[in-house]
Amino acid sequence: MSAVQQINRDDFLDGLVRCWPDVAAQDAAWLKALRARAAGRVAALHFPDRRDEEWRFTDLSALRELNFEPAPLQKLQAPFADFERLIFPEAAATRLVFVNGHYAPELSDTHDVPPGVTLAHLKGQGATHDLAASTHLAQHADVNHEVFSALNTSLFPDAALLFIAQDVVCERPLHLLFISTAQQTPLLSSPRCLIISGRNSACTLIEEYVGLGEGVTFTNAVSEIVVEEGAHMQHVRVQDEGREAFHIANNTVTLARDAHYQSINVTLGARLSRYTLGVVHHGPGTECSVDGLALISGRQLADTHSVIDHAASHGKSTQLNKCIVDESAHAVFNGKIVVRRDAQLNDARQQSRNLLLSARARVNAKPELLILADDVKCAHGATVGQLDEEQIFYLKCRGLSETAARNLLTYAFAAEVVEKIPLVSLKTRLRAVILERVHASTETA
Amino acid sequence: MSATLDSLINRPYTAGFVTPVESDSAPKGLSEDTIRLISAKKNEPEWLLEFRLKAHKHWLTLQEPQWASVHHPKIDFQDMVYYSAPKTKKKLASMDEVDPELLRTFEKLGVPMHERKTLANVAVDVIFDSVSVATTYKKKLAEVGVIFCSFSEAVQEHPELVKKYLGSVVPQGDNYYAALNSAVFTDGSFCYIPKNTRCPMELSTYFRINNQESGQFERTLIIAEEGSHVSYLEGCTAPRFDTNQLHAAVVELVALDNAEIKYSTVQNWYAGDENGVGGIYNFVTKRGMCRGVNSKISWTQVETGSAITWKYPSCVLLGDNSIGEFYSVALTNHRQQADTGTKMIHIGKNTKSRIVSKGISAGESSNSYRGLVRMTPTAHGARNHSQCDSLLIGSRCEANTFPYIEVRNPSARVEHEATTSKIGEDQMFYFSSRGIGSEEAVSMIINGFCKDVFMQLPMEFAVEATQLLGLKLEGSVG
Repeated sequence: MSAVQQINRDDFLDGLVRCWPDVAAQDAAWLKALRARAAGRVAALHFPDRRDEEWRFTDLSALRELNFEPAPLQKLQAPFADFERLIFPEAAATRLVFVNGHYAPELSDTHDVPPGVTLAHLKGQGATHDLAASTHLAQHADVNHEVFSALNTSLFPDAALLFIAQDVVCERPLHLLFISTAQQTPLLSSPRCLIISGRNSACTLIEEYVGLGEGVTFTNAVSEIVVEEGAHMQHVRVQDEGREAFHIANNTVTLARDAHYQSINVTLGARLSRYTLGVVHHGPGTECSVDGLALISGRQLADTHSVIDHAASHGKSTQLNKCIVDESAHAVFNGKIVVRRDAQLNDARQQSRNLLLSARARVNAKPELLILADDVKCAHGATVGQLDEEQIFYLKCRGLSETAARNLLTYAFAAEVVEKIPLVSLKTRLRAVILERVHASTETA
Repeated sequence: MSATLDSLINRPYTAGFVTPVESDSAPKGLSEDTIRLISAKKNEPEWLLEFRLKAHKHWLTLQEPQWASVHHPKIDFQDMVYYSAPKTKKKLASMDEVDPELLRTFEKLGVPMHERKTLANVAVDVIFDSVSVATTYKKKLAEVGVIFCSFSEAVQEHPELVKKYLGSVVPQGDNYYAALNSAVFTDGSFCYIPKNTRCPMELSTYFRINNQESGQFERTLIIAEEGSHVSYLEGCTAPRFDTNQLHAAVVELVALDNAEIKYSTVQNWYAGDENGVGGIYNFVTKRGMCRGVNSKISWTQVETGSAITWKYPSCVLLGDNSIGEFYSVALTNHRQQADTGTKMIHIGKNTKSRIVSKGISAGESSNSYRGLVRMTPTAHGARNHSQCDSLLIGSRCEANTFPYIEVRNPSARVEHEATTSKIGEDQMFYFSSRGIGSEEAVSMIINGFCKDVFMQLPMEFAVEATQLLGLKLEGSVG
């Protein structure tokens, strides 16, 4: 009986990972070896269920019941209807676009990429960047233990590469756009990013996932980011996939001595989304600020897991994660702060703020501290609640209607995160999206 | 500063002696026969035996839980004595007939067993290994209708109450150790406060493990009827052995309409030596049910002993407007491991809960707070505030915080905050510049850190806890 269950349980993974030799047909030897190893790990690991502590509140059984196929190469007619909406004027000619994980040259534009910056895709490079790619690819993501990272590594059709050379300050924001398109059959896309910002460099990166069309899709993304000594990176990540989509993403960030990393993650779409962020402070004097906003409604589930690992001394981290949960949506936040043995003089702060707008909405928050060094300052806070009646009353006294007051407060709650986004056009767009969602929710209420 | 800290921390464990009493023990091992033997020895009614056997049957299907942040070798449940009682020749008629050896033991531990000598207002039930040896002030309590006696006695004399409430808060199959306890529990305290009665004195149970090979499985049941009030204290010690003993207790509290139960624990089981050899495994299930409206259950614990502590005193807030509180100080030193916290399950309207947890880790110990706050969809207007602070002393120790927050009602409000810090050089400087030595300074800082919790303890316990903490930490601040 248990043997039968075992087989059924991993049918989903086996069915997908079986395709890896086809994907790898054109690959260099090192990449083939990497994929073979990852495929082996997929076979050895099991599909997570709610008995796994990491997946306790996020039920993937709906995903497992569907039959996905790795998405084939598909050409989108450019410019299609909504494409203009997806382009930022600041990054109009510094963008790479991938459709279902495949590079889309007809949608990409890289002619403004300054010298010292490489914005490319793995398949198009021949051997030019093989050395950097082979040194770093799958070396930071946990391919050995995390089944979705392993699955992505065995199946990704192409990878976005962004390399910033030493001492280069890239003024223009760089835009990586991943589009998933819904088809008749449910498709799996495996987008992959490798980003290396060299010593004392600086850049701003927008990583964006959008869905086109109505239908079930499954995006399983993996990003690896290396911030070398003294480098600064700003990273904005937006997930706005279709309402039927499944989105699972793993992002691993490695910080060397004195590196700065600032990230803002905005989750708007997908029926079920899971974002796992790992930031490892490898060198002393590193700083990171990791913020998140999830704005969900309907039957959406948004899960954010983060691990901020202070492996060296004199580090600093701040985190603000906010969720606005409406209708029957369900938000999950699990934020772990680890201070390793002898990693002294670290300062880590974490805030989890959750706003429930409906009686059916649900939040699971689990902020964790694991502290193994004594000379540190670590604090976390978590709150869950609804809008403050006194604040609403205050605004009503000043002539706002109940609805307007609620909308304003909800918007302000979200704005604290959105306002940190360095890109004006993206900020404007998100403000509009939030206002629209907030209004929609009060109209239906 | 480190020298004073070392001497502070490494004070000997004064309760670590063994009492040479002849004991009547069951053979090692756990089977249905052991359970029947325990039940027969205690002359139990059939329904209680059924309760035990059902629990045992369920226990066999369970797996030992692995999720806690503690490490220990696998426990061999067959290499353990499940029943051990000091030999008595006949039924005791009064306190004066208690074995003088036992009396001396508790005298040495500072537990008052002579009514005339007692601290002004505390009634004590003393549990030695598997059985209750004496309960003081029974008569005085009986005058106001309060029943306070050993569990075995309650089974004989008040079976209807025991039957009604046993397992109503912690069911037989609740978890691995609760199931084990339900199968083999030997004794414990039973307390019943009738309607609209305020218990005239503090009730207290003192637990003592003496036998090297026995596990202690006691069961405590406290029932507070409508409008009643009781304050209950629990203390525990064990001798120093180089083997580990298992202590798997179950405590059930039931508070009906407008009732209030205050439950305080000072836990000082033997913690093992500095290399982590020996000590008690303290795997306890404690849960209170605020069944009635406006009822209140308040847990206060000072956890300083045990090689491994694993307990989560919880409140189920069923009645509207009921209140749950949890105040905890957990101190770990050397190789001790503590994974402790609470669960607050809000079900009724306008229920409130407050959690204050202070963890102090020193040496190479590991101290974790693990808590759950759950707001069910019916918990309209419920409130929770949690505060978990950790203090680290030394660079080899570990402090973890794992709070789970689950909210399914938008009008509920949950707030959680946690901090981790050490005793700062500037704090020490402040004291030394005012002529206060480092040892005293550390003790003052720690007492200040724990003040929110100590304030909740009854007077006698607060003094004891403060001293205990001082003893435990002697020599650990550097």
